[in-house]
Amino acid sequence: MTRTSSLMLLTVAVALLLAALPLVLPPFYVRVGQLMLYSAGLGVAWAILGGFAGYASFGHAAFIGVGAFSAGLVETRLGGVPPALLLPIGIVVGGACCGVLSAVIAYPLLRLRGTFFAIAMLGVSNVCAELTNNVDFFEGSLGLTFPTVVPASLDPAIFFYELFLVAGLVVLLIAWKIRDSRFGAGLLSIREDEDTARMLGVPTERYKRTAFVISAILTGIMGVIYGHSLGYITTDSVYRNDTNLNLIVYSLLGGMGTLFGPVIGAFLLVFITQVILGRLLDFHLFATGLLLAFLVLAAPGGVIGLVRGWRQRRKRTGAVPAE
Amino acid sequence: MSETPILQVERLSKSFRGLAAIADVSFAIAPGSITSIIGPNGAGKSTLFNLVTGYLVPTAGEVTFRDRRITRLATNRIAELGIARAFQIARPFRELTVSENVRIGALFGKAGARDVAATTMRGMTLASIAHLADQPANSLTVGQLRHLEIARAIATRADLLLADEPCAGLNPTETAAMIDVLRQIRASGVTVVLVEHDMPSVMEVSDRILVLDAGRLIADGPPQAVSQDAKVIAAYLGTPDE
Repeated sequence: MTRTSSLMLLTVAVALLLAALPLVLPPFYVRVGQLMLYSAGLGVAWAILGGFAGYASFGHAAFIGVGAFSAGLVETRLGGVPPALLLPIGIVVGGACCGVLSAVIAYPLLRLRGTFFAIAMLGVSNVCAELTNNVDFFEGSLGLTFPTVVPASLDPAIFFYELFLVAGLVVLLIAWKIRDSRFGAGLLSIREDEDTARMLGVPTERYKRTAFVISAILTGIMGVIYGHSLGYITTDSVYRNDTNLNLIVYSLLGGMGTLFGPVIGAFLLVFITQVILGRLLDFHLFATGLLLAFLVLAAPGGVIGLVRGWRQRRKRTGAVPAE
Repeated sequence: MSETPILQVERLSKSFRGLAAIADVSFAIAPGSITSIIGPNGAGKSTLFNLVTGYLVPTAGEVTFRDRRITRLATNRIAELGIARAFQIARPFRELTVSENVRIGALFGKAGARDVAATTMRGMTLASIAHLADQPANSLTVGQLRHLEIARAIATRADLLLADEPCAGLNPTETAAMIDVLRQIRASGVTVVLVEHDMPSVMEVSDRILVLDAGRLIADGPPQAVSQDAKVIAAYLGTPDE
């Protein structure tokens, strides 16, 4: 069995286990699970651009907000449409709006590299937030109530838990497919050395733009589901600067540039902040910051970097002939 | 020159804020040859490579590759047509292994992802680094990195290799190995253009030498003739008592 097949089987097994967990977990942990799966989906969507291509965005919350608000605004105007169709329509609208926005801003923004790109994206996020807050049409300051899409027979917490799981898996599979493709190899070469990549024939501009648009659409779709899970959103609930920061932290914690790194990082950070440090109340953010600084210093390659290092050391030790 | 040239440079010029880095340079490269471009530092050798590969846009003049004008094409499009470049300072993808580095070349360029595994192996074999396939690029020596540069460029299935100082910083044994690699590449049907400072290597490997000085082409011919050219001696080689 190849390594990819083994990983795929493991992913299916973990997904089935995660799908069954709400049946035995108390409601609080189901909500924590929702947040973990939502964060993991966002983290992987972010990594398609930030991890694979090395263009770390510090403003992906823009797409969460645009996705959620565009879907909400359209859905609230579709009075006669059956509730079962509202969510799919919202996902298409939210994804499309993020796709158009990212395709437009990709041209000027992707000419920037490194810190300049990251900060420009923060600017995009803030501009979108301000527009949503100050233009009455968007209803960002008053708030937007999503129509109910959860069937009456289902527990909303479990419904959205399972929905985040399915959406997260779809994002993971798309990212997986990209990573193992020619496109993924091109993104990797852009991350390593963009000028050399171009010299080898990699269409760097087209690849960066494509990665940016895919990442934005997937982030927007996660934003639509998040908006529905909250039921009511304001500008502050979706255009969050802590989300902008966390998306980078997930990859840093799990392993920058890897496929499963953002998933591991998101699960770890949400569990630590919500379950362990959440009990520290006022010291919660202080302890989280301290822990993050320690983890990044101790394991700059993230959890996956630690595991790889350990395996390499073991391989080297094993290669030494016994005396 | 009886054969149709693989590369033709016509009246090429490049100025930076009025300062001419390349001035009215014309030459043609015969397919299957090894041509060296020599000249003192600042003569415009690397700028010439940058112009041919589309990294810089010329102020005037034309570059034609296999009867196709490539003067203002994007760098990646030029690579797709069959021109590859190995850099003066090796620029490996440091987080990847040797074979992963070469595989990127095989996926793009003129290779365009056909027979990726075989093309990757061919690149590594031609550059004599197949035995290092699983080594991380960041663990290679300077000499091995230069071979990796060549392997990655060749894996694009290029018809023309532009190698920028492939022997710089190598000891005599490594230089001999590199010359052997360049000859094997030529034998495989690839035309080679070198920028090189190491004169013994240039004299040994080249079919023809072009000499640049202050952006101008001051000599063009077989190695023996160029080495005795008065203008070349004055501008670059110097006399024995200098």
